[in-house]
Amino acid sequence: MEKYKYFITICALMLFSVTSLFAQDKQAKMALTFATLNDTINVCNVSVTSDGKPLDGVSVGLFVKRLFTPLPIGKAVTTDTTGIASFEVPNDIPSPDGNLTFIAKVEDDENYGTFESTGDAKLGIVVASDNSHVDERSIFANRSKAPVYFIAASLIIISLVWGTLLWAVLQVFKIKGLRSKKK
Amino acid sequence: MSEDNKITDSTKYETFTQEEYMVMKNDLLRPIEKWSLIGKAWIVFLIMVCFAGVYAYYVQETKSKYVTVSLRDTTFWGVYISNFVFFVALSLVGVLMSAVLKLTHFEWYRPLSRIAEIIAVAAIMLAGVSIVAAMGRPDRLHYLVMYGRIQSPIVWDIIVIMTYLVTSCILLFIPLIPSLSTCKNHLHNLPKWQLKMYEIFSFGWEGTAEQWKLLKKTVKVLTVLVIPLGISIHTVTAWLFATTLRAEWDSTNFGAYFVSGAFLLGVAAMILAVFIFRKAYKLEKYLTEMHFDKLGQALVLMALAYAYFNVNEYLVPAYKMSGLHKHHLLALFTGEEASFYWSVVLFGIAIPCILPIFRMFRKPLPLTLIALGVFIAGWFKRYLIVIPGQSHPYLPIQDVPPSWTHYHPSTIEMTIVAATFAAVLLIITLFSRFFPIVSVWEVAEGKLEGKDEIINYK
Repeated sequence: MEKYKYFITICALMLFSVTSLFAQDKQAKMALTFATLNDTINVCNVSVTSDGKPLDGVSVGLFVKRLFTPLPIGKAVTTDTTGIASFEVPNDIPSPDGNLTFIAKVEDDENYGTFESTGDAKLGIVVASDNSHVDERSIFANRSKAPVYFIAASLIIISLVWGTLLWAVLQVFKIKGLRSKKK
Repeated sequence: MSEDNKITDSTKYETFTQEEYMVMKNDLLRPIEKWSLIGKAWIVFLIMVCFAGVYAYYVQETKSKYVTVSLRDTTFWGVYISNFVFFVALSLVGVLMSAVLKLTHFEWYRPLSRIAEIIAVAAIMLAGVSIVAAMGRPDRLHYLVMYGRIQSPIVWDIIVIMTYLVTSCILLFIPLIPSLSTCKNHLHNLPKWQLKMYEIFSFGWEGTAEQWKLLKKTVKVLTVLVIPLGISIHTVTAWLFATTLRAEWDSTNFGAYFVSGAFLLGVAAMILAVFIFRKAYKLEKYLTEMHFDKLGQALVLMALAYAYFNVNEYLVPAYKMSGLHKHHLLALFTGEEASFYWSVVLFGIAIPCILPIFRMFRKPLPLTLIALGVFIAGWFKRYLIVIPGQSHPYLPIQDVPPSWTHYHPSTIEMTIVAATFAAVLLIITLFSRFFPIVSVWEVAEGKLEGKDEIINYK
């Protein structure tokens, strides 16, 4: 029996690999739909199907695309018997134009592996940039818009210090001049 | 009439010092006339290390910086910047040893002032070099002048470093004029160019009453000027960190914390320099045990001040242990930087606070060993201020290679850092080989003013 251990292990591994491959060959799809309940609550429904049949018990995560990593919307939700996972979408997600890109993800499902789908909806709040102060002089402005008091104070300090240094250098030449006078 | 009296008052030391001046000159000019073999070998060694640094910089600038240096998006300031902070701190030795002691009439400063000034000049020069080494695009250095914003701490730093460098050079040079005249008159067996150099730079010094008056007045004005300048330079350096968005640098304590650390480092550097010059140039008569005693006392005072600011900097945030501070503080106290941090606390703060209180530790050798510990800990202290804090940015970092979250300086970086140290030592060594490292006239004047602190110290 001992000598067949290696052979049996290899066979088991191959069987597992083939089964896994076969299992992950199953295709599933997701579709994102959006709805507003009572004019206040925004909902994103993720419908998961395979061969046109709804899939029950699949764990789905919902994210919003951001500049860096996607922002998760709550915790993962498991699909119900109709194959739908519902997410309440917060209504304070900022966006330049109100449009948000949602990403629904299923990760490492034992039958369907990892797959995702995206959908756009105008559920974000528009962030209005107040640029009315851009042209004003401030510490944070560009170099040509430095505050006048700042420029004046800097120039006074720099002039006083460098003026003193220049005076000191002139004294050195004056020392030399004192010798010349004597001669 | 009163003008004549003033001139007479200011000249009595000079007239009075001539005899002692002649006695001293042999001792203090000897290192210029005779270069020992060890002295020459030391200079060759330093030049070689400098060349290694130049080559390393060439490699850094010609190959990808991603390969040659360990800086990444997270840790964007590495050993170059901690080295820069260290050298800026070191340059404050000129303020403390030359200016503060001079203005407060501590007469024992006299043989030390020139040593302090040359350390200050060399350190601030290499602080500038460290900044250039840290630049991603050094070819755009002049953009700081062309496009810099006066509101930016980086521009303040450039302005204050340049100003402090020029001030320190002038403050080094002007009191040197009478010494250059002494060199011109008393040194003969030297190359012609060297004698010509003494003649040109002594600016026709003849030691007349008017010349002395002018020289002392100018030195006094510069001495007053250099104190706020020196404090500004290191405060602005502290602001470079305090105005950058990192939790660990959000501190209103930073300016005073940096300045107090610089004064401690300055005293330690002074002790090391005095010990080395005393032995190498046989200057025991001028750099006496009294100087070690006084420097030891200064070391305790500065270490206590620095300990106070460290308590403010670390223990107050540690009491709260809030947010991002927590990661940084725990990394220092018990985490990956702990052995590093506690060694710095021990050698850089605790030992200089306690041991030099006892007179036996203020003798040359024990005090020099303590100062060496403070000096080395001082470098690592700047490392701990600059680098671990950057590992905890406000925006979370995800999915990055390990080299982004853990900084270890590359060989290229450490070679350049070693070369900056060699360059500082080279500047100081060459200066002491061409000019009297102890100001002959200042020491003579101190003695003849009857300052018992120097002659009658037991």
